[in-house]
Amino acid sequence: MSDLSVRSWRKASDDMSVDTGDQRLSARQAGQPLETARTRLFVAGAIFALCFAILGGRLVQLSLLSSGQSQQRVAEQQGGALNLERADIVDRNGTLLATNLPSHSLYVNPSQVLDANEAADKIIGVLPGLSRAEIFHKASAKGQFAWIKRDLTPEQHYAVNRLGLPGFEFKREERRVYPHGALFVHTLGFSGVDNKGLAGLEAALDDDLKQLAATPGGKMVTALDSRVQHIVHAELSAAMTEFKAKGAAGIVIDVNSGEVLALTSLPDFSPYAPGSAKTNQRFNRATLGVYELGSTFKTFTTAMALEYGVVDMNDRYDATKPLKVARHTIHDDHPQNRWLDVSEIMIHSSNIGAARMARDVGAERQKKFLDRLGMLSPLPFELAENGRPITPRHWREINTMTIGFGHGIAVTPLHLISGFATLVNGGIKTTPTLLRINTGYTDQTGGERVIARETSNSMRTLMRLVVEQGTGKKAEAEGYLVGGKTGTAEKAAVGGYKKNALITTFVGAFPMDAPRYAVLVMLDEPHGNKATHGYAGAGWNAAPVLGRIVSQIAPMLGVMPLLPASDEDDSQDNTQLLVRADGEGRHFASY
Amino acid sequence: MNRPALILWIGLPAIVTIALLLVSYQVKGLESELAELERAALTQQEKIHVLNAEWSFLNRPERLARLAKRYLNLAPVAPKQLITFSYEPLTKDLVAQGFAVQNIVMQYLAPHSLITDGLKQ
Repeated sequence: MSDLSVRSWRKASDDMSVDTGDQRLSARQAGQPLETARTRLFVAGAIFALCFAILGGRLVQLSLLSSGQSQQRVAEQQGGALNLERADIVDRNGTLLATNLPSHSLYVNPSQVLDANEAADKIIGVLPGLSRAEIFHKASAKGQFAWIKRDLTPEQHYAVNRLGLPGFEFKREERRVYPHGALFVHTLGFSGVDNKGLAGLEAALDDDLKQLAATPGGKMVTALDSRVQHIVHAELSAAMTEFKAKGAAGIVIDVNSGEVLALTSLPDFSPYAPGSAKTNQRFNRATLGVYELGSTFKTFTTAMALEYGVVDMNDRYDATKPLKVARHTIHDDHPQNRWLDVSEIMIHSSNIGAARMARDVGAERQKKFLDRLGMLSPLPFELAENGRPITPRHWREINTMTIGFGHGIAVTPLHLISGFATLVNGGIKTTPTLLRINTGYTDQTGGERVIARETSNSMRTLMRLVVEQGTGKKAEAEGYLVGGKTGTAEKAAVGGYKKNALITTFVGAFPMDAPRYAVLVMLDEPHGNKATHGYAGAGWNAAPVLGRIVSQIAPMLGVMPLLPASDEDDSQDNTQLLVRADGEGRHFASY
Repeated sequence: MNRPALILWIGLPAIVTIALLLVSYQVKGLESELAELERAALTQQEKIHVLNAEWSFLNRPERLARLAKRYLNLAPVAPKQLITFSYEPLTKDLVAQGFAVQNIVMQYLAPHSLITDGLKQ
């Protein structure tokens, strides 16, 4: 090719020399134009090459760059399709408990408002809840921005839009929505207009919720079960009305994992209007309130005495007459006036017996035992409202004895049920959590052993006896082997106790041969009525509520009922329990 | 100059340029289509999100309990209604009579025609 070009160039240069005329070409000089031609040829080639290179480069740039952009956009698209500020909260079955929905907020830019007077009239026409003077003031003020109303409903948004007022504009915002309303208000809490968690789980895990929202499909899976929560809520509401109680609390917890399936405190309030709720409604009785929970503490006293080998199941204590210690006298509420063995102390809820047992264990060991159960410090629970137990400053003998039957120490109901779960689950410490285990948001591992398996088995038997024969008879739920302990305590007041202001508690677990769930029911100042023959003790109000709750939630939670075995079946070695306390031979429903 | 070579060197860039132009327009078209689809997807996702919230609102246990009480003749499951296949008093007799497992279930559920009808289908 170069040969061809050279020849044509040479011809051209010959023609040029002919045209100019004043220089005649000689054979000797013929080499010079040839050189020139070569240089020009090279330059032209280089220019062409450069052009092609630019074109090629541009081609590459276009294809690579544009495809990069769209890929990036697709990735963004899949990542946060809906870029919400807070992640959804769902229950253990995936039911939505809290979510962010897009909403519109109305603001005014006064510099663009034509007639503030007319505008205020029109706005009031469609948003009657607002103050006309305030709108007029905002619309006529200096400045660029003032909120008129946050979170309009779609109808309000449409109505204001239809007015077509210049200067009144919308800002797209997000609004926290709780489809279940007040049902979960004491567990989830609520968050404010700026999507900041202000109470409950929303406040305690505020940052986690915001981080989760940034990850694709991120949602917080809680351990809660909305069905169980509803049953607990409904039964407690009914009980509050029936016994004219001031308040109530209910908790359901998985005794093995510590997962909280339901947690309610009544009265409650709407998460949309926390400002108008009374203090009584805002107060979380289940996790923030600390109470002297009375006889339910006898379970801890008995477990501790059995664990330290201070007593065995057949040991007996003198409960013939009230016990005088220092200036105090300890009475029994259900006096038997005789010597009682350990199971009878539980069945008849003997204060005297429990106090003597606690004295035999001693202050040091009692304190250590309660500490290992987690009763002496606030729980690491995922709520903003966690109560700190009140314990005696000087742990004297009298304190040891009163704590033996649940006075002189105040804990939250959540403390009580966690400790109780530890006693019946085989002796492994239960730490309550609101989050579903094994979903990556909680690092709960196997807890430490607090009591021996044998002690736990004995406690199961004792708890079952309380329901079969003792103060907790009304807590029975046919087939589900409920076991537990009643507690009736007078409320502490300045300088003593209030006689007629009671805190009644029933803490129980089921099925007692192989416990899976623990349930707590607490009523704040219940009153006796005709049906209870005027009695206001826990056995008359808290216990039956618990029985009703268990008989409804047990089938839902897949607990197989065990009905009394037929006569021909003589394989049972524990006739009192019907089944063995170690859960051997139990059939679980498989759904 | 060699004619075929000239045609080649003028034609090639021309073809490339035209092809590039066409592809570039095509890409632009596709991109706007993508953007439109993305917008549509976002709108749909938003709608689904709102519907999820609505679904949860309509499935409030309190509401379902109220509706069930009003329209359905159902009650919470009683312990007596739950048995396992190892429940001997049931199976012993029936197996002895030569019933297959499904027949045992049918036999036991016979009084509850609503359930057996469902199982037959």
